[in-house]
Amino acid sequence: MTSTTMDTATAELLTGSLRELFAGSAGREVGPALAALGWSDVVAEDPAGATTLLFTEHGRALASSPVLDSVLLAELDPVLPEGNGTRALLYPHPTHGDQPSTVDGPVHGLLLAGLESVDEVVVPVRANGSVALLTAAPGSFTTEPVAGFDAGSGWLTVTGPQPSGTPVPAGDAWERAVAAGRRALAAEIAGVCQAALDLAVAHTSARVQYGRPIASFQAVRHRLAEGHVAISDIASMLDAAWVSAGNADGGAWAAAMAKLRAGRAQSEVMRHGVQVLGAMGLTSESQLHRHVTRAGALDALLGGHRLLSETTGRALLAGAPADPVVEV
Amino acid sequence: MTRTATASLATDLDAYRSSLRAYLSDDDTLDRWRGKHHASTEDRIAEHAALMTHLHEHGWNRYGWPVEAGGLGGDERHRGVLYDELSAAGLPVPDPHLMLETLGPPVVHFAPELAARYLPEYLRGENWWGQGFSEPEAGSDLAGLRCRARREGDHYVVSGQKLWTSHGATASRFVCLVRTGTPESRHRGLSMIMIDADTPGVSVRPIALASGYQELAEVFFDDVVVPADRLVGEEGKGWAVAMYLLQWERAMYAWQSAAVSLRRFRELLGQVAGKPLPDGAATRIGDCYGDLVALRARSVQTVRRLAAGETVGPEASVDKVLLASAEISLHDLARDLLGTDFVFAADADTRDWLADWWFSRSATILGGSAEVQRTILADHVLGLPKEPKV
Repeated sequence: MTSTTMDTATAELLTGSLRELFAGSAGREVGPALAALGWSDVVAEDPAGATTLLFTEHGRALASSPVLDSVLLAELDPVLPEGNGTRALLYPHPTHGDQPSTVDGPVHGLLLAGLESVDEVVVPVRANGSVALLTAAPGSFTTEPVAGFDAGSGWLTVTGPQPSGTPVPAGDAWERAVAAGRRALAAEIAGVCQAALDLAVAHTSARVQYGRPIASFQAVRHRLAEGHVAISDIASMLDAAWVSAGNADGGAWAAAMAKLRAGRAQSEVMRHGVQVLGAMGLTSESQLHRHVTRAGALDALLGGHRLLSETTGRALLAGAPADPVVEV
Repeated sequence: MTRTATASLATDLDAYRSSLRAYLSDDDTLDRWRGKHHASTEDRIAEHAALMTHLHEHGWNRYGWPVEAGGLGGDERHRGVLYDELSAAGLPVPDPHLMLETLGPPVVHFAPELAARYLPEYLRGENWWGQGFSEPEAGSDLAGLRCRARREGDHYVVSGQKLWTSHGATASRFVCLVRTGTPESRHRGLSMIMIDADTPGVSVRPIALASGYQELAEVFFDDVVVPADRLVGEEGKGWAVAMYLLQWERAMYAWQSAAVSLRRFRELLGQVAGKPLPDGAATRIGDCYGDLVALRARSVQTVRRLAAGETVGPEASVDKVLLASAEISLHDLARDLLGTDFVFAADADTRDWLADWWFSRSATILGGSAEVQRTILADHVLGLPKEPKV
């Protein structure tokens, strides 16, 4: 029982369409382009297959767009009052781990794209141990492009005063939104990793030293094989995570494990990738660095792998059952 | 159990799972096998075999095996459920099921008459088999093996030596890969044959691991006469049988190991509860749990593919790499969380972890070493330029 129902031919066709789409559009154009493709029908037909495919290709293309917003907002919209126009989501800033800022402090978060053509920003806030939602006008925040490791993400750091209004308790919806977001991000990380591994395989198969391609040396071959194992691991974890996606909590535990494994995988794939590209791997002349930095940024969003390992371990030590996650 | 219930459990996996779960939680006699410590491998296998006998009386371990071979029908998924439910109920997966998973499927497929003759007593826990593949000169490079079987009329005469045979000291039969072709014939001149351990000329020397447990053995064959009807597959087709076998060795062992490891992980957390833990323990625990879940997620897909009759190819090496990572991760975690107790304490729980820690080191060696798995992936999955032949 895999979660996706998509056959190979359909998947290949859709992959081709998505690759064209990401080659031609970015940022806030991606949403309308997907709509024109009839993507919502694909999602309705097969949520697991469609979401995994979309985000894997998003990752492979190193695309920059707020398409992840639609995944989380699909869970949050029903909780919010009837909206007017396009919504954007403010993500918890990774410096606060995977938790939104508190209701009594200033807002500090991340946007995945600029707010042009956005009518309303959904702001999650933490109050008394649970998450509530506020909405704000796009003009009420100061935004700064995210600098640092991944300059190409197009993400923005947001600071500003807490929006006025009464927060709407999110109930389970926030947990479900984060779970859905983590599954999508795991797929995106898998896409970035696969593209990086492809680069590494191509480079090491072509690069000749000591009279033979360096991919014929065992040390190099084994690093690439480990990269393949790590990427395969994300795919099977994602299948497992989708099985519980329909639960009341959105399959939060399994989704966190999928994100944890994806985060670990990118760390391993990128470490091996940079090594086997030789000095090229750390230059701006090879494209590999863009995969390294994007994977790092995606890992940090909605809980990095170290954070998730620690919170999972703490939960287990506090008596949470060691859930088998997977049944035959 | 009624006949109708039996038939429906073979076709209804969920019904099998829930009936088995209910049984395992209700039958108090099973407590005999919970939380047990064994002084030797021989004691442990005998006790586990008694558990098989008990499960067999109620039919539970017969699902997943064909009726003709003493089973009750169903497929690999039933066996997967059995191992998982036993583990969830705090029971061991009986040791003999390890080699049953590796040797049962090829014998059922290539030698159904041998399966009909000998598998029922295996399932009853009356005896078990060992796998004779490795030799002193043929470890990772299996095709270089030299143990020879010479055809004489309706018999083979086997001479040579096998090494690293799991459960070898107590096994009643050995399923061996032997050379029937010329010494230079590599993988083309091999055959698979079943040899009884009590045949004249067979001698077994147990090998103790560093823990003192005799998990492995060396088996010598000195002009051992074996009826030709003991061939598993045709003469000269042993390599194909071995490749067929590897699908189960990789996939089912991974699932068994995943099931058992999750039980041991739970037990470990129980044993260290309330004790002072080293820095970073929570992160280590979360990571190890991730390793175990990742193995399950991958392995279950392969078990389902086998059950659906698909051929599992070189990509099964991914399962093996994840299996080895999980085993090493769990036992290193146990070592670190137990701290100085691991080195100095002599209580039974700790002694089990010591023995298991040594055995876990075999996860990257037996059944194709970590290096062999990575090379298979490099060659056959990634399609990298080959390493030059020396």
